[in-house]
Amino acid sequence: MAALTTVLRPDVLVLRPPRRTVSAALFASLFLALVLVAVLAVPLATRAQSTSVAGSANAGASGDAARYSAAVATEWFRVVLPAIQQTPGQSPPVAARTLAYLSLGLYESIIAGIPGQRSLTGQLSELDSLPAAQPNEVLHWPTVANATLAALTHMLLPNAPADWNARFDALERNMPVAQSADFDPAQRTPEVIIRSETHGRLVAMALMTWARTDGGHDVLGPRRVRLDSQYVSPSGPGAWVPTPPRFVRPLLPNWGSNRPFMPAAQQRCAPSGPPHYDESAGSPFYREAEEVRRVSVEPTEEQRRIALYWADDPGKTPTPAGHWAWILTDLLRDRKANLAMAAERYARMTIAMSDAFVATWKVKYEVNLLRPVTYVQLVMDSNWVPPLMETPAFPEYPSGHSVQSGAAAAVLENFFGSDTEFEDRTHNDRGWGPRRFKSFRAAAEEAALSRLYAGIHFRSAIDHGVKQGRCIGAQALALVTREAH
Amino acid sequence: MLRAVGLLALALLWFVAPAIVRSQALPPPGERAGAATVPRVPHFVDETDAAGVQSRFDGDWEYTVGGGVAAFDCDGSGLPSLFIAGGVNRSKFYRNRSVRGGALKFVQERAGLELTSTLGAYPIDLDGDGTLDLVVLRVGEAILMRGLGDCRFARANELWSFQGGNQWTTAFAAAWLGAEQHPTLAFGTYIDRSQQDFPWGHCTDNQLLRPAAGDRLGFAPPYALKPGYCALGMMFSDWNRSGMPALRVTNDREYYKAGQEQLWRIEPGVEPHLFAAGDGWKPLQIWGMGITSADLDGTGYPAYFLTSMADNKLQVLAAGAGRPEYRDIAFASGVTAHRPFAGGDVHPSTAWHAQFADVNNDGWTDLFVVKGNVGNMPDFAMLDPSNLLLGGPDGRYVEAAPEAGLLNYQRGRGGLLVDLNGDGMLDAVIVNRWDRAKVWRNVGAGSASAPQPIGHWLQIRLRQDGGNRDAVGAWLEVEASGRVQRREQMVGGGHASGTLGFLHVGLGEATTARVRVLWPGAKLGDQVLVSPWFDAAADRSYLLDRQKGLAPWRP
Repeated sequence: MAALTTVLRPDVLVLRPPRRTVSAALFASLFLALVLVAVLAVPLATRAQSTSVAGSANAGASGDAARYSAAVATEWFRVVLPAIQQTPGQSPPVAARTLAYLSLGLYESIIAGIPGQRSLTGQLSELDSLPAAQPNEVLHWPTVANATLAALTHMLLPNAPADWNARFDALERNMPVAQSADFDPAQRTPEVIIRSETHGRLVAMALMTWARTDGGHDVLGPRRVRLDSQYVSPSGPGAWVPTPPRFVRPLLPNWGSNRPFMPAAQQRCAPSGPPHYDESAGSPFYREAEEVRRVSVEPTEEQRRIALYWADDPGKTPTPAGHWAWILTDLLRDRKANLAMAAERYARMTIAMSDAFVATWKVKYEVNLLRPVTYVQLVMDSNWVPPLMETPAFPEYPSGHSVQSGAAAAVLENFFGSDTEFEDRTHNDRGWGPRRFKSFRAAAEEAALSRLYAGIHFRSAIDHGVKQGRCIGAQALALVTREAH
Repeated sequence: MLRAVGLLALALLWFVAPAIVRSQALPPPGERAGAATVPRVPHFVDETDAAGVQSRFDGDWEYTVGGGVAAFDCDGSGLPSLFIAGGVNRSKFYRNRSVRGGALKFVQERAGLELTSTLGAYPIDLDGDGTLDLVVLRVGEAILMRGLGDCRFARANELWSFQGGNQWTTAFAAAWLGAEQHPTLAFGTYIDRSQQDFPWGHCTDNQLLRPAAGDRLGFAPPYALKPGYCALGMMFSDWNRSGMPALRVTNDREYYKAGQEQLWRIEPGVEPHLFAAGDGWKPLQIWGMGITSADLDGTGYPAYFLTSMADNKLQVLAAGAGRPEYRDIAFASGVTAHRPFAGGDVHPSTAWHAQFADVNNDGWTDLFVVKGNVGNMPDFAMLDPSNLLLGGPDGRYVEAAPEAGLLNYQRGRGGLLVDLNGDGMLDAVIVNRWDRAKVWRNVGAGSASAPQPIGHWLQIRLRQDGGNRDAVGAWLEVEASGRVQRREQMVGGGHASGTLGFLHVGLGEATTARVRVLWPGAKLGDQVLVSPWFDAAADRSYLLDRQKGLAPWRP
C-alpha cells in the first residue's frame, strides 16, 4: 500500500512507497505525527499572537497590518494618479470612482490584518460580502495589498496607455525589492506569497464584480455612450444650454443615477437649491451673476493663480479627486503612517469624494441650471466669456469642486486635525507649488472659490456645495470600521 | 464628296450659328425677344459690413436646419428691424437706423430678444394690442416674446399659458380661424433629439395650439398633429379661396418613413382633417425645406413653390378649387432651379427659403430662392448660389442673380425680401450656416450713391379692430394697368423666416392704382367682407384700415 505524504511546501509532492520493514513503518508513523503537529501548531501560534476578539471571522490570521509602512499603498497611488491623468475617459467623476474602488479594495484586502477592524460590507450599497481571509491562513499584508492594488488598477484602467500598463506591471513586480523594509523574505515564504497574492486577487475580483453593476463602469463603452447620447436637456427659463466656445453636449448626464457607495448620504446631504431664476436687475440671481462677471473681468494675480491651481482639468492633471488623493498620499508619507492607517484613510476619503460626485451630478441634472456665461451674455454683456478657462460642459448647480473638496477636507480634518497646516505638492511638477495651507478647510474653501474666480460658477453653487460636501464627508466618517465590543 | 459635305457644313455654320448664339443671349432689357419682354434687372449692393450686421448662425447637428430672420417694424418708424437667429450663438436684434432711401444701417440693441438655441422667428400681433410680438423657434422650448413697444420684448409663455414644449421646432404658421378673436398656432417639429444615432424614422409630431376660451389671450394645451414627417416649412393659406385657410406642411423625406407633403383642414371646434388621395391630394415626397405662395396667373388662387434638393416644385391647381389636386409647372416656368447657375459646381442644389415678391417693381412676381449645402454633403453642390428669378407676363422666369449682384455662395438658409430703407424697393437678407448673415440694398437701376427705382410701387399696411389687428388671412387686391395683383396676408412660410408689415406691390409704369381688401373670411368674389375700391398714388406707403379706409401711412 502506498502512503501519500506531503510536506509543507505545496510545490513539492513527495510520493514515498513504504519500506517493507518494521523500522520503516515506525519511521513513517513518527513522521506523520510530526507533520500533524506542525500543521496544527502554526495556526495556534499565530492565534496566540492575535488580540482579536472571538466572533471575528478573521481572528488572528497573521500579524498586524499596522506593523508595515504605508509604502505599498502610497507607491501605488503615486503611480495611479498620473496614470489617471493620461487615461482616456477619466473625467473628474470617473476618476473619483476609480480611486474609491482602489482604496476600498486596499482596505478590504487587509482587513483581516487590522485587529478590531471590521469590513465595510453590509454598510455600502448592495455590498453584502467579500472573500475573507481564511482564519488559519498566514498572509503577508503588503503582499496582499500589492496584489489587490495591481489587479484593481488593471481592471479599473483597462484603456491606460501601453507604457502605463508596463509601469503597473513593473511596480507590482519590483515592490518587494523597492520596499524591502516591509517585505522580509523570512516572512514571505513561497506559500505565504501565493496565499497572499491569491487572497489579494480574490478580493479585487469580487470587488470588481460588485463595481461593474454601479452604473459607472465602462464609461467609454457602446452601451454607456448610446445611453448618454439619448439624453435631451430640459428646456425653459434658466435651463442649461451648451456653452461657448465649443457648445458640447452635456457630459455624463446619467452619472447621478449611479449607485453610490453610501446609500443614505445623498438624501441626507441634499443642498437647498439656487436662488430663484430671475433676469431682472437687482434680483438675487442677477446679483450673483454680476459678482461672477465683476470678479472675472479683472481678476487679481492671486485670483488667477488660484483659479488655475485648482482647475484640475482632466487630461492635464489627476483631476480634483486625484488632487486630494495626492495631498493624502504626501501626508501619509510625511508622517510615516502604517499600512492599516493608510488603508482606512484612503477608503473613507475616496468613498466620500466618489459619492460627492454622484450626488453632485444628480443635483446638477435635476436642477439643470444655466452657467454664468449663458446668463451674462443674455442679460448683461453679450460679449463676455470667462477669461481664464472654458466653461465645463454640464449644468451649474452645485459646484463639483466645492462638494468634493468639502468632502475630502472633512475626512482629512478628522484624521489629521482641523487646524493642521500642510503642504500641497500636487502641482510641483508643473511649477505651481508647493503651496502651504493653514488647514484642510481653508484649502477646500479656496478650491471652491477658485470656480468663482474662473467665472464658471455662481456663489450659491459654491457655498451650498461645500456644505453638501462636508455632510457627505461626515457620512463617510460615520461608516463603522471598529468592531463592537 | 467629302470635301463638298465639309464645305456645306461650314456654310451652314456660318449662317446658322450666329442666329443660334443670338437667340441664347439675353437681349438688352426692354427689347422684345420672341413674344415676351425681358425683365429689367435690379442692382443689389452688399451692405453687410457698412450696415453693421455681424451675426453668425453656428452649431452642429441640431442646427443643420433653421437659420432664419424676422423683419418687423417695432418702433413705428416704418422701417423693419431684424431679429437674426444664431443657433448656438445668441440671437441678435438689429434696430433699423437706415436713412429713408439711403444706405442701410443697423444697430445691435438689447431688446430682450437675446435667446439661446434659436432657429428662426415670425412676427405676429398675438394679443391684438397693436404691437407686434415675436414667435421664436428653438431647439428646446418655443418662446412667445411679447412686444412691449419701442423694440423691447419680454417672454410671455406663462402670461399666455403657452406650453412651449421641448422639441426641435423648425416651422411655424398662424391664422385667425373663423370668428375667433385669438390666433391658432401651428408649430412644425423635426426629429426626436434622443435618437441622434439613428434619426431616420424618428420624426416628431407637429403641434397645434388653439386659443383658449375667454377674452384674454391664452392657449389650450398642444394638440399633436399626427403623423409628423419632419416639417421644415408651414403656412396657413386659403388654397381654395373659401375664406378658411388650410395648413400646408412641407416635409423632409430624408428622415420620414412612408411620409409625404401634407395639407390639413383646421377649423374651430372640429377635429383637424388631413387631406388624402381620396380628396384629390396626390402624395408628393420631396426634401421639403421651405414654401411660398402667390397668385401668379391672376385667377385668384395661389400657386405654391416648394423648395427641395435638386428639383423645386411649383404647384398650381389642376382640377379647380373643389379639390386640392395640384400639378407641377416648375419646369415649364423655368423655376426648377435644380443646380447652380454659376460657380461651376455641377451637383444638384439644396434650396431652403423661398419667397415670391416683385424685386424690380415691374408688376410681375419674381422668385427668390436661398440655397446652400446642408453641411459638407459631397453629392450636392458646395458652391450653391441663391437664385433671383425674375418673372414676366409669359409665366416664365429668368435667372438674374449674377447680373443683380445678389450672389451668395455660402450655405444660405433663411432669408427675406423686404424693404429695409423705405424706398419701395425690396432689399434682401440671407442667413448663412457657419457664416455671417448678409444684407443687400436694392438700388434699382441706379447705384449705391444714386439709387433709381425701375418701376412704380405701392406698400399697404392692413389694419382692423379686434384681435386680428393686421388682418391676417386677408387678400389685398391692387388694380393697375388693366390687371389685378393679389397678396395674401399671412404669418408663416419661407424657411424659419417671416415678415409682417407692408404688403409690397410693383406697379410697373402705372402711376396710380386702385386697391381694396377682401377681409379675413372672405371668399373669392365676396361682396360682403370686402372693402370698397380706393384710389392710390404710386410710390407711397398707405394704411388701409377696415374701419377708416385708405390713408397715407405716417410713422
